[in-house]
Amino acid sequence: MSSEADSSTHVATRAYKPGMSTGWWTRKRHYFWYMVREFTALPLALWLLWLLVEIKRAGDGPSRYHPHSSTGFVIFSVICFGFALYHSITFLSLAGVIIHLKTLDRPVPPRAIVWVMFLLWLAASIVIGAVLIGFGR
Amino acid sequence: MSEETRRTEKPALGHLFWWFMFAQGGGLAALVIPVHILVQGILGPLGGVPVVDRHYDTWVSILSNPIVKLYLLVLISLPFFHFAHRLRYLLVDLGVRAAKRLWVQWLFYGAAVLVTIITIWVLLTTAPISLSLG
Repeated sequence: MSSEADSSTHVATRAYKPGMSTGWWTRKRHYFWYMVREFTALPLALWLLWLLVEIKRAGDGPSRYHPHSSTGFVIFSVICFGFALYHSITFLSLAGVIIHLKTLDRPVPPRAIVWVMFLLWLAASIVIGAVLIGFGR
Repeated sequence: MSEETRRTEKPALGHLFWWFMFAQGGGLAALVIPVHILVQGILGPLGGVPVVDRHYDTWVSILSNPIVKLYLLVLISLPFFHFAHRLRYLLVDLGVRAAKRLWVQWLFYGAAVLVTIITIWVLLTTAPISLSLG
């Protein structure tokens, strides 16, 4: 036994390197949408950077402040909005898997947690939308 | 207990922090970014509704509120910790092995920290803090 163990420890080990082609995600629809989910970060990051620039531009004074209204900007926002919705739906749908809660020593069903998250999304959207529009003129 | 066992039993505080920021950033992005894009990026520019950032005075007025500044700091900076993780793993999934290296991790998460610092600077220097709204 000990000689066997000794001999096995001397066997050279090689690290397992999984071979994966760069186009693996195009083979199945499920893989493709997984990559789209990961990609949503890029347009959302760009849109938030635009918001940061818009805040910065407010410091330039009233004569130099002109809010973006071009068709190109609206198209950019529509594209970002699509990715934002996809991020929201996929992320909030996972809440039932990630969040584990108990009430009266009984686990809360995952579906109930997902429903609460979607209701929270609706409530947050109404409140923020009301503030953004309500303080406008 | 051996020294090695004691070392491995230490809580991975670094992992805890970055996973916490990833989850919170993703959750916040899911809950509030769509309505900002819809109202400020689509409805406002199309002229469908009056939006706070369409006029200089309303925009500066709301930006000067400290609660709004705090909200915008969280809104802009926190999702970037989520984006940093997702974009790095997007590169890993696309076969870019270098994306797993430590310097790339510094690059991506460092960018999120940089955005946070820039956001703080922009919010503190753009509109003087005032408690009045409108």
